[in-house]
Amino acid sequence: MPALVLKDYEPLLERYAVEKPGNRPRRGFWKNLYLLLVLVFLFLPIFILVIFSFNESKLNVVFTGFTFDWYKSLWGNADLLEAFRNTLLLAAVSTAVSTVLGTLAAVGLKKYHFPGKKFIDKLLYIPIVIPEIVLGISLLSVISLLNLELGFWSVFLAHITFSTPFVLTSVRSTLFALPPSVEEAAADLGASRLQVFFRVTLPLLKPGILSGAILAFTLSLDDVVVSYFTAGPGTNTLPLYIYSIIKTGITPDVNALTTLMLLATILLLVLSNRIKTKRLEKREL
Amino acid sequence: MTRVKNNHNRPFSSTSELREKTPKLSSSKTVFDGIKVLFTLPVILYALLLIFLPLVYIFFLSFLKSDSYGGFLFEITLDNYLESFDPTYLGIFGKSVAIGLVTTALCLLISYPFAIFLRDKPERTRSLIITLVMIPFLTNSMIRTYGWITLLRKNGVINSALLGLGIIDAPLSLMYNSLGIIIGMTYTLLPFMILPVVSAVSKVDQSLLDAAEDLGAGPLKKFTKVYLPLTLSGAFNGSLMVFIPAIGYFFIADILGGGKAMIIGNLIKNQFLTARNWPLGAALSILLLILTFGLVKLYEKIGGDLDELGGA
Amino acid sequence: MNTFRDFLTSKKLLLLFLFSLLVISFASVFFVNFRSRSDADEPTSEKVPTLNVLNWTSYIPSEVISDFETEYGVKVNYGTYSSNEELLAKVSSAKSGTYDLIFPSDYMVDLMSSRDLLETLDKSKLKNLDNLNPRFLSQSYDENNLVSLPFLLATSVILYDSEKISTPLTSYHDLLREDFRDNLVLLDDERITIGSFLLASGADLNSVETTALENSLAFYEKLKPNVKAFDSDSPKTFFITGEVDAGIIWNAEALLAQTERENLKIVYPSEGFALSMDNYCILKHAKNPDLAYLFIDYLLRDDVSQAIVDEYPYISPNRSVTSLPDSELETILARGTYVKNVGNDIKKFDKLWAKYK
Repeated sequence: MPALVLKDYEPLLERYAVEKPGNRPRRGFWKNLYLLLVLVFLFLPIFILVIFSFNESKLNVVFTGFTFDWYKSLWGNADLLEAFRNTLLLAAVSTAVSTVLGTLAAVGLKKYHFPGKKFIDKLLYIPIVIPEIVLGISLLSVISLLNLELGFWSVFLAHITFSTPFVLTSVRSTLFALPPSVEEAAADLGASRLQVFFRVTLPLLKPGILSGAILAFTLSLDDVVVSYFTAGPGTNTLPLYIYSIIKTGITPDVNALTTLMLLATILLLVLSNRIKTKRLEKREL
Repeated sequence: MTRVKNNHNRPFSSTSELREKTPKLSSSKTVFDGIKVLFTLPVILYALLLIFLPLVYIFFLSFLKSDSYGGFLFEITLDNYLESFDPTYLGIFGKSVAIGLVTTALCLLISYPFAIFLRDKPERTRSLIITLVMIPFLTNSMIRTYGWITLLRKNGVINSALLGLGIIDAPLSLMYNSLGIIIGMTYTLLPFMILPVVSAVSKVDQSLLDAAEDLGAGPLKKFTKVYLPLTLSGAFNGSLMVFIPAIGYFFIADILGGGKAMIIGNLIKNQFLTARNWPLGAALSILLLILTFGLVKLYEKIGGDLDELGGA
Repeated sequence: MNTFRDFLTSKKLLLLFLFSLLVISFASVFFVNFRSRSDADEPTSEKVPTLNVLNWTSYIPSEVISDFETEYGVKVNYGTYSSNEELLAKVSSAKSGTYDLIFPSDYMVDLMSSRDLLETLDKSKLKNLDNLNPRFLSQSYDENNLVSLPFLLATSVILYDSEKISTPLTSYHDLLREDFRDNLVLLDDERITIGSFLLASGADLNSVETTALENSLAFYEKLKPNVKAFDSDSPKTFFITGEVDAGIIWNAEALLAQTERENLKIVYPSEGFALSMDNYCILKHAKNPDLAYLFIDYLLRDDVSQAIVDEYPYISPNRSVTSLPDSELETILARGTYVKNVGNDIKKFDKLWAKYK
């Protein structure tokens, strides 16, 4: 899955921070309208889903009346809850592992040399660029070749496969921005290699690790294609569950769950913004 | 506005350039080095077992003969590649590439004005809008595709609205055809285009634009002479991240295409999950991989950095 | 500076993120414990016996499964497929023992047992066996019911809106009319849909002759502008939401669509139609065969069979579950054709099917 280029917003936001007074209001109207329309396009299906989560009718076709019932019945839908639980567990575990793996790899590939390093380095870009379907079927083929059983572990390995390179590139970009002198200084002061890593390198890499981890988490949460091929019986994830019922008709409790997840996302964004503004205010005082 | 300038302005244009200038800290002694093993062995195992082995295996598989019950005979043959060029499959390949190209073009068309208009906005508004672009991405893509069914179907929201306003007098066929797939793909993949394009456009130096304006360049000229050449690699990055999934996301074609307008993703999926012809599916995957790697090479050629591809 | 990157890299957010990971992990564990405690009666047994079932979509109501789970204190992992070919692919690519109980149709029973995939059934383990009507036993695909027992009978039918299409439909050829432009739904099932067009072009449903197959494709090419979608999972939805006015779909789907849209009319096409008997089969090397027998026996119960047919009105082989008068049933059985195993010729269908899409 292609991921978002998070690191690149920063220049756009800081470089032209100065407001330009010369903006003509008349032209501005059409520009604003355009920006608004694109946002409306992006939010349209989400609004629809939210609205229908309050719909009395079981069919997501016509709005018949307002109700909160689906938010209650959600807690009785064992299949949906199980899929949700699997998704969260999978995302948490695979993020944890791929973050550690990706960070170790970024540092290891920078510091050490070993035979075939160039080759390994090239291999690591592959999961980022290849179509997910090819990744999915190739993993399925190998699992079948080794006559292993599909289950939680196979989806877990598959998720690590596609998310580790994203963590790696994220950590790597932070790593190469670090001045090597810091680590050298620590080493000169008598720190062991592990001490240098844990006390100096790791704290400095935190931004890269964090954005890599968040990326891995969102990728895992949303993955359809790779999971589709590697999930076994009893390891339905939320996207797979929705895919399996999408044609027979989705009941509004799925809409209700989506609405709750959306709320959680927005809450997280607002919360972190709040924290930042507070910090900024403090700094300015 | 006061603020500490942070040190992310990298002195090197690409990380690979930097990589070479980094002093090598490792010692090439032959003694066992536990820390080195800790930092390198996991990634070597990961790369070999989870990336290299599966790809080599499907490459191998693509030369085997299928026995039509899901198994294969260990007999080397080129039949699968020959069959891939059967008019039936070529037709699907062509259609799929066309859908991918239209999707990519639409995403570019939407993203460029978006990025250019966004440039003029005050910083606070800009970060708000970018956060808003991110939110749909953080919501489950499967359920968002389902949301489109509600919008696009014959008695759906869009048709009802257009009928109600008297703009049309018979419902439009918005889904269960290629149009539905293109709408779904454009929608799902748009953020992957918007973000790199916005980032590339924002890096364009204001003085160049001012100079162009002083020389009498209109908006169109400014776009073709200033923005476009300077943002080419960003746009190509986005195009790759849109085009590649757009020919592989079988679930969107499945849900919004009505199970008939197939894309390559469906074709491969069907070989594995219904037609039980794994070798053919593997051959199709290898062809898809060749196409992908070709595009990535092209990206590198125009000066794109691999680390920026979908990188965080 | 209020940038997105800053937001992503703030220390508090890192803590928040790690904290939520922790909460999620704990919550997941809690969910697991909660489920097994409420589902199983004996708290001593750590692992609840689990049955892995693969069945058609829209075939067994979820209440029937959850009732079974609570009644016996077991768990059912219920996976679905939309065609026999998908079932075969799933079963043959998974390690043996992954699934216990499956519901293949007639020809697939034959094919799977010829591939030695199915376990010989021990009928002494089924108390409710006598509930089955002998009329449906010992069919050609499994002479003495060695590996299979009938579960439900489906037939393919034409369904159309009699309000919108005034002249009555009787045959597949009537679907070629102009008024059905972009207005048909067909089953996403290669043997049934190709079979219907074989019948339409005058051949047998099971014909594998090249000319017959070519003729069926020619018929489809003529029909193509009328076809809106292929769907096996819930073609009724296309009718209920007003997306199409006609189609070739399963009988139960047609009946269900009728309850929501009164003008719909069911037609058994004059050229013939497909019969599809789906069966209980236990896979070789199943890990939980006893649980599979328990589930089959449960589904054979009169009340359970009734509950299934009430929700999905297919024809039940259970003698006390009446859905059709005998005479009508006999007519359907006489006029319909079972899909047969065609061995390696199935490749011809696979290839042809790719051309349909």
